[in-house]
Amino acid sequence: MRSAAWRISLWATLAFACGTMVVFVFLQSFVAGDIQRRTDAWLSGEVEVLGDVAERTPKDALYDRVVGEVAELAAREVPDKPASESGSSDSVFFLQSGGDGSLKLWVGAGSGEDHLRAIKAGGVPSDHPADLRVPGFAVPFRVASIRIGDGSHIFLGLSERDELRVLKSLRLRFLLLWMAIVLLGFGIVFLSTRRMLSHVREITEAASRIGHSDLNARVPTTRRNDEVSHLALTLNRMLDRIESSMHQLHTITDSLAHDLRSPLTAIRGKLEMSLSTATDGEQTEPIVSAIDELDRLTDFLNKSLDVAEAKADALRLTRSTIDLDELLRVMIDLYEPSMSERGLHVELFSGGPVAIFADAALVHRMVANLLDNELKHLPPACTLTIELRGNEDAASLILEDDGPGFDPEVLEHIFERRVKGRDSNGHGLGLAFIDAVARAHRGTVAASNRESGGARISVTLPLASGETAHFSVPAKSSLR
Amino acid sequence: MRLLLVEDEIDIQSFLRRSLEEAGYEVEAAPDGKTAERLAVDNLFDILIVDLGLPDQDGITLILRLRQLGVRAPVLILSARRSVDDRVRGLEQGGDDYLTKPFALAELLARLRNLLKRNSPAASEATRLRVLDLELDLLRREASRGGQVLQLTQQEFVLLEYLCRNAGRVVTRSMILDKVWGMRIQPDTNVVDVHIYRLRGKVDGIGQQPLIRTMRGVGYVLKDR
Repeated sequence: MRSAAWRISLWATLAFACGTMVVFVFLQSFVAGDIQRRTDAWLSGEVEVLGDVAERTPKDALYDRVVGEVAELAAREVPDKPASESGSSDSVFFLQSGGDGSLKLWVGAGSGEDHLRAIKAGGVPSDHPADLRVPGFAVPFRVASIRIGDGSHIFLGLSERDELRVLKSLRLRFLLLWMAIVLLGFGIVFLSTRRMLSHVREITEAASRIGHSDLNARVPTTRRNDEVSHLALTLNRMLDRIESSMHQLHTITDSLAHDLRSPLTAIRGKLEMSLSTATDGEQTEPIVSAIDELDRLTDFLNKSLDVAEAKADALRLTRSTIDLDELLRVMIDLYEPSMSERGLHVELFSGGPVAIFADAALVHRMVANLLDNELKHLPPACTLTIELRGNEDAASLILEDDGPGFDPEVLEHIFERRVKGRDSNGHGLGLAFIDAVARAHRGTVAASNRESGGARISVTLPLASGETAHFSVPAKSSLR
Repeated sequence: MRLLLVEDEIDIQSFLRRSLEEAGYEVEAAPDGKTAERLAVDNLFDILIVDLGLPDQDGITLILRLRQLGVRAPVLILSARRSVDDRVRGLEQGGDDYLTKPFALAELLARLRNLLKRNSPAASEATRLRVLDLELDLLRREASRGGQVLQLTQQEFVLLEYLCRNAGRVVTRSMILDKVWGMRIQPDTNVVDVHIYRLRGKVDGIGQQPLIRTMRGVGYVLKDR
């Protein structure tokens, strides 16, 4: 699914996840710093007490026991101390080294030699606690030291295992919660944007259905007072305006047609009546030619108005399902004798029924115009091939001939009004009308000269849409 | 034949009245829908001509109203409009006919005669048509003249059948296009004429009396006497 909802929710989630992650990193470093500060304060206090005890206790046989027990007591004060596998505590050690650097007293797990070596190698500053890595222990110790009167050093170490454990559990809990929140956020953002965008899509679909002379429909609106509903309202107001100007155009063309046709009817009627009373050829000839001119004028009027309306995308359509294959066969049947009379050969290539949903009268006139055009302009002994193809969503009708082709000068503007070849005696509306009908049906027309010589006109019309594709065989009526 | 002409344009009304009377109709004219309704209820007409653009109401509304009031006569609808209303198509399905302005008088008369004939009960379901020595077998789709079978294509047979059914009456090119090919188009070229020439070549043999006559500027007629 290539939807904007995906993109928006992905970006929003990414920004949210990064933001919360940064906040957590700050929070965690603050917590870690705070724990360390507390540990250091405890260590410094205890090591001072121990130093005091060690200094006051006489250096006799009991010295080891007294100081050792005080150190044990201090170790028990460590809060939330987990029992280690061995049962005795290995999270705290007490170490006294003599002035010569030898191990004088040791309380804790193991022999204490490793610790002493690590202290000697790393060097623990006497003024503030520092980290100490001891070989054989995965977790470093925090060690505070003090120097007593006899020149020996007392070291008190506390494993950082507890601190790390607390931070680890904090991280784990945060990660789980974070993932849940990010997922939830993603879901909420995705659903809400999708809902909003689905409304936009509805508007788009409705708007694309509107137009091409069907201006009654409106895009769906909601009662919510947000941007999307404003968009819908604005579109609808715009459609109101378009509809009203379209209506105005229709009123103008209709009244123009009506106002011209009524006098034309009267004139034609009077001419015909005078024709019936006229007797000799000298009198009738001008009347007959006047009637012919009048009919040409009428045809011009009709086509002009159609073309004008179509140029404004305002041609009114009465649609029904038409089989183009059937229509072409009937049309060719109608035109074939005239073509062969002029020495023209016509061939139809069609792969069977092609249903379009279109205005039958307009499509009939369009095809008749195409064939009239060929009939009028092709020199004798030419061949006209008509090909009908039904693609997935469009029907294409291609007319090719091996005549002289279009005048290159007019080819560019061939579908414009009043454009015609030099030797054409029409009113220059034929191809403009074909273009107008195709446009009204959301189709296209293209004209070109073939490389091998001759003209090529291709008309594309959209196929019947799914819901209206019930098939009926129209066009050719039989006698009752 | 009594005819009611409903048309508000005085010019058109007057020339139509004259030509219709010349053609043998007894014409009553009404300039608006109200008058037309009164006349149609009080008198019995054989056929009506109704213009769609009446000053007081829509022509189709009038026709539907008259049908409700029990007027059964066929109607020829005249329209100066550009698009054909769906309701007009409906009426056409119901046996009425329509003609756009401007029209040829001959076309109008031909369509009137066609409507009258269509409406008469004698309209045959016969399987054979006979005009002078021309005979059409509608079941076997076969035509013969003076006993000689004519070699007609399917389309030529349909065309000849249409001419035979209207024997003695003028049929116009647009009527032929409408009824034989099912299209309301006005070709710029003489496509219908070429069909008639070809048909004439087969029907009217050398030495035979020509049956298919051209009425210049109007259309064609199949002679029946």
